[in-house]
Amino acid sequence: MQIELHNVHKTYEGAQPLHVLKGVNLSIEKGEFVSIMGASGSGKSTLLNILGILDNYDEGEYFVDGQLIKNLSERSAARYRNKMLGFVFQSFNLISFKTAVENVELPLFYQGVGRKRRHDMAMEYLERLGLKEWAGHYPNEMSGGQKQRVAIARALITHPQIILADEPTGALDSKTSVEVMELLGQLNREEKVTIIVVTHESGVANCTNRIIHIKDGVIGNIEENSRHNASAFGTTTVMK
Amino acid sequence: MRLDIDTYKEIADSLLRNKRRSLLTGFGVFWGLFMLLFLIGGGAGLKDLLSKTFSGFATNSMIVVEGQTTKPYKGLKEGRWWDIDYRDVERLKMMVPELDVVCPMISTWGSSVVYGAQTSSAGIKGVEASYKEVETVNLKYGRYINEVDVAQERKVCVIGKRIYNELFPEGGDPCGKYIEVGAVQLRIVGVDFNSGMMSINGQASQSLVMPITLAAKLYHRGSKVDLLCLTGKKGVKMSSLEPRLRSVMGRQHLFDPTDKPAMMVLNTEQIFSIVDNLFRGLNFLIWLVGLGTLLAGAIGVSNIMMVTVKERTVEIGIRRAIGALPQEILMQIILESVSLTIIAGSFGIVFATFMLRALELIAKSTFQIGFWTAVAAMLLLAVLGVVAGLAPALRAMHVKPVDAMRDE
Ligand SMILES: Nc1ncnc2c1ncn2[C@@H]1O[C@H](COP(=O)(O)OP(=O)(O)OP(=O)(O)O)[C@@H](O)[C@H]1O
Ligand SMILES: [Mg+2]
Repeated sequence: MQIELHNVHKTYEGAQPLHVLKGVNLSIEKGEFVSIMGASGSGKSTLLNILGILDNYDEGEYFVDGQLIKNLSERSAARYRNKMLGFVFQSFNLISFKTAVENVELPLFYQGVGRKRRHDMAMEYLERLGLKEWAGHYPNEMSGGQKQRVAIARALITHPQIILADEPTGALDSKTSVEVMELLGQLNREEKVTIIVVTHESGVANCTNRIIHIKDGVIGNIEENSRHNASAFGTTTVMK
Repeated sequence: MRLDIDTYKEIADSLLRNKRRSLLTGFGVFWGLFMLLFLIGGGAGLKDLLSKTFSGFATNSMIVVEGQTTKPYKGLKEGRWWDIDYRDVERLKMMVPELDVVCPMISTWGSSVVYGAQTSSAGIKGVEASYKEVETVNLKYGRYINEVDVAQERKVCVIGKRIYNELFPEGGDPCGKYIEVGAVQLRIVGVDFNSGMMSINGQASQSLVMPITLAAKLYHRGSKVDLLCLTGKKGVKMSSLEPRLRSVMGRQHLFDPTDKPAMMVLNTEQIFSIVDNLFRGLNFLIWLVGLGTLLAGAIGVSNIMMVTVKERTVEIGIRRAIGALPQEILMQIILESVSLTIIAGSFGIVFATFMLRALELIAKSTFQIGFWTAVAAMLLLAVLGVVAGLAPALRAMHVKPVDAMRDE
C-alpha cells in the first residue's frame, strides 16, 4: 500500500471550529489512477492537502510507503513535497513573472540542480507536452490548457511517485479537459505514477480507474471504474 | 540557499517588477545616507575651516596684561595703574616652574613701512626669540628673530605675508634687504606666511616682528613691557596656574591678588574648549539627524517589503509547495532588502561625495569624507538591509504551502 489513512480527522479552528474530516480511512496502491468526488465543501481539497503534506491533520495516521507522516519538520516535509509529490491545481498556480520554462525549472532549483541541466530538463518536459514554442512565454500569454500543461510539466520534472491534482480541469473547457485527463491517464499508464484527482465533474471522474466518494467528512462508496462507464452522461465525452 | 545567477536574477526580478515602488523606497535610504555623509563631511570641513582660523597658536597659552586696580591694597587706593616689567619674566619663570615660555611683548599700531617706492602699514611687535613657541611661525624665507638679535639689539625684522606682498609685489627672497620703519632702517631676516586669524596684537600677516630690546629702545619704553605671553609645560592646565600668577605679580606690583581687573588674564585653553564643545554638540546633532533620516529610510524599506510579502503570499506558497525550505524563503526576502538598501545607499554615497566635492570647490577647504567612512557606510547599509528585511522575511517564512491554494 502506497498511501494509507487511518481515522484521519481535521478541524479548522476559528470563531466557529469546523470539523471537516471526521475519520477518513483510505488506501491507495502504487500506480493507481483514482478520483475523489463529493459535493462542494465536503472536504475534498482538505483531504488532498493532507495527502500532499501541504497541511497537517489533527488525529489519526497517514502513511506514505509505510512511513508515518505526522508532525514532520519543515525540512523533511519540504523534501517529501519536492522529491515524492507533484501538484496540479485548478488555478494553475504558476508564478506570473516567470516564463513557462522558468516555472518548470523551479522545483529543480530548490533541489540544487545546476542551471544548465535544469534548463535542459525543463525544455525536454515542455517538448513532451507539446509546449516547446511556448517556453519563453509568460503565463498571462497562454491559454488555460497550455498553463495547465506547464503546471503538469512542473509537477513531473522531479519524477514524483504521486501526482495530486485538485480540480485540474476546473478552469478548462471540455475539449481541453479531455486532453488534460488523457495526458494524466497516459502518464499513469506509461510511467506508473500514482495519480489522485479531486473533481466534482463526473465526466472527469469517469476517466479514472476508481472513484472515491466523500460525504459528510467520511469516505462513502468507492466505485471500481476500470471500464470507464460510470458517468451518467455517457462514456465517451467529458461533460461540463 | 544556492547563490547562483538565478538567485540574483530572482532578486532583480522582484525588485524590478515594481520599479516605481522600489525607486521610491530606495529613495528613502538614498536620501538618508546622503544626509548622513554630507553632514559628516560638512561638519568635519567646518571644523577644519575653524581650526585653520585658530591654527598658529599654542593651545595651552595665556596672555597677561596689566589693568587698573579696583580694590585698595596695603594703603594704596584703588584706581591705580601699574606696569609689567621686563624683570617679571625671570621672576615668573622662577616662581612658577610649570611655565615653559614666558615671553614679553612690546607693540605699537599702524607704523608705516617703506621699501623703495612701496609702502605698507604694520603692527610692530617687539618680542624675544621664544615667541615662536606661542604663535606658530610659518617661514617662507629666512629665519626668525633669535637670541643673539635680542641680546645685541640688532636692527633686524621678520615681516608678515601682507607686508611682504605689498613691499615686494614682484616676489622673490627679500632677506638682507633694508626697509624703513619710521626713522630707522631694519634688515629683513625672514618672512612669516602664517595666516591664522588668531594672534596677539594684530594678525601675523600684517605684523613686523623685531627684537624686544630694539623695540624698547626705538619706542622709549625703558624696562616696561605691554604684555606677557605664557605657555605651560606639557600636561599643565593653564587655568590652574592663574591664582599663583596673580599672587606673584600682586606681591611685586602691590595689588590685591583677588582683584581681577587689576591684571587681565586671557586663557586660550578656554577659547579652544568652547570651540571643542561647540563641535561636540554639532557632531552629536549631525549623527542624530543623519542616522535618524537613514533609519526612517530603512523603516520605509521594511514597510514596503512587508506589503510586498503580503502581496506575494500565493507565490511564496507555490515555492513552498514545490519544495522550498522556510529558510530559503527567509534568505530570499532578506537578500532583496539588502540589495535594495545597498544599491540605493551606494547612490547616496556617490551623490554625497559629489556634493562635498562641489562644496570644496566653492569653499576651498576639505569637506570630503574618508575612504573608510564610505566603507563603514557600506557595512552600515548591509546591516540596515538585514534589519529592515528581518520582519518581512519572518512573515514570509511563516507562509504555509496551503496559503497558495486559496485564491483570494
Ligand atoms: N483554511 C480554512 N479555514 C477554515 N475553514 C476552511 C479552510 N479551508 C477550508 N475550509 C472549510 O472547510 C470546508 C471544506 O473545504 P474544502 O476546500 O476541503 O472543500 P471542497 O470539497 O474542496 O469544496 P469545493 O468543491 O468547493 O472545492 C469548507 O466548508 C470550507 O469553508
Ligand atoms: Mg476544493
